[in-house]
Formats: sequence, C-alpha cells, structure tokens
Amino acid sequence: MAWAPPPSAAKLYRPNRFVSLPAELDPATYDTSPEKLRAEAERLAIRSRLKRQYLLQLNDPNPPAIIENPALIRWAYAKSQNVYPTFRPTPKTSFLGAVYGLGPLLFWIFVLKTDRDRKEKRIQEGKLKRSPLSVFF
Amino acid sequence: SEMSKDMMPGPYPRTPEERAAAAKKYNMRVEDYQPYPDDGLGYGDYPMLPNKSQYERDPWYQWDQPDMRHNWGEPMHWDFDMYIRNRVDTSPTVVPWHTMSKHFLLFLSIMLIMFGLGEIYPSYRPVGPKQYPFNDLYLERGGDPNKKPPAVIHYEI
Repeated sequence: MAWAPPPSAAKLYRPNRFVSLPAELDPATYDTSPEKLRAEAERLAIRSRLKRQYLLQLNDPNPPAIIENPALIRWAYAKSQNVYPTFRPTPKTSFLGAVYGLGPLLFWIFVLKTDRDRKEKRIQEGKLKRSPLSVFF
Repeated sequence: SEMSKDMMPGPYPRTPEERAAAAKKYNMRVEDYQPYPDDGLGYGDYPMLPNKSQYERDPWYQWDQPDMRHNWGEPMHWDFDMYIRNRVDTSPTVVPWHTMSKHFLLFLSIMLIMFGLGEIYPSYRPVGPKQYPFNDLYLERGGDPNKKPPAVIHYEI
C-alpha cells in the first residue's frame, strides 16, 4: 500500500505572521531555473543603477546639501497624504470605522453609567460609607 | 520637495499600463510589483512587499544605510518603521512557532490551574495557636511587676 509522502519540512514549520520560513527550508532557494536567474539579473540591474546614482551623489566633489531618498519621500507621502484621496467608503471600512470610532465611546459610556448608577443606589440605601471631607468626588 | 506629481504615490492602478508605470515609479520589476488589494482602506498603489523585518536582511552586505539595512531608492515596506531592528523581528526561530506557543500555553495553563486548585482546596499540617512562655509574656506586654500574673498553663501531665 502506498502511503502519502511525509509533509515537507516547510509545511511542518508553518511560518505565520510572526516568523518567516528559514531560507534552508524554502524550495525557492534551490530553484535554478532560467526564469529565476533572469529575474535575479533584472533585480540586480535595478539595484546597481540605484546604487550608482547614490554613490555618484555621495562622492561628488560639490555634494548637494542633502541626498534625498525618493523612496523615503514616497513612503512618507503614501502614509500621510495619499490615504484620504484613496479612501473609499465600503462595507468593510464603514464597519471598521464604527468599531474603532464608536465602539470605545459607547463602551465607556455604558461602563461609567452603570458604575455610577450602582453607587447612587448604594448611597440612597445608605450602604456607602462617605467621609465628610474628600477632595475626590 | 521638487518631485513631480507622477513620481508620488497615487490611486490604485487599474490598467496594465498603469501597473507598469507604477512599478517603474517604485523601482521594481513589473512581475514583482503587487499593490495592496483595492479595499478602499487608503493604500493606493503602494506595493505590497513581503512582511519581513530588517533583521532578516544580510548583515554582511554593504547597505547604503547599514543600521536600517536599506538601500537608497529601494521601495520601503508600508510598516517599515515597525520592522526596523529595534522593534519587531520576524527572523525564523529555531523551534517552530506553533510548538513554542503550545509548550508555553500548556505550561501556563497547568500552573494556573494548579495554583487555583491550591487556593480552593488548601492543604497543610494541622496547626494550633502559638504558645508564649512566661504566662503569655505578661511582663513584656506591660503587665504590672508588683501584681501576681494570671497563671497560664499550656500543658497537661
């Protein structure tokens, strides 16, 4: 009888949001197909072009005052100014907005109100020991 | 800064030409470029990079910014400031995460259950009240030395 092959080490490892798969268990490390080599060559070309631009500016005899990093500027712009134009009310965003915006407010209203109502009831029944002088309520 | 509007991030790319232009803008290959899904959450056309922290990058390569392990012009992860080396670290662990969490939660739950049971059903040897000498420390507790103290006998023969 033929058993199924045992689960691969990558499946046994189960990478998730907190840890990633080690390179030794990843089958992509051992993949030497021509597509992968061409992809790596293209990435290397992009990387070297960027590094050349950066090193030219860095070792310039009249260097500019600041070598600004367009990737950093884009990142900051995307996180701050590009959120409002690209936001769109959908069921998911409306639900999330209600949960995060109204949820805590209603929760604390409910908690504080019931707590104070219970305290008021105890004062009316005379059970609560109230000191005559108190700087807190 | 003096970067033109088409160099800045924009809305979600819909046509393949927009995707190619966005990939070129972010200095990525067209095949590598994968924007966040268009949920209306405000990501726009920013690329979705793998969620790996800067700890996982090669420490021996000559990065342009060695402390950030980041090269000039390389697209930064959306959560870049979370994945720096002082903060979240997603490096692979020696023991898989599910094994670690299972061991930890088992240990914690067993210890808490045992402590709880010990609180509900305490068990110790039988004890009685402490017996003090010298008539229950009559003089030490401020008794009058001229008066005869009340006799306190703790034994029976």
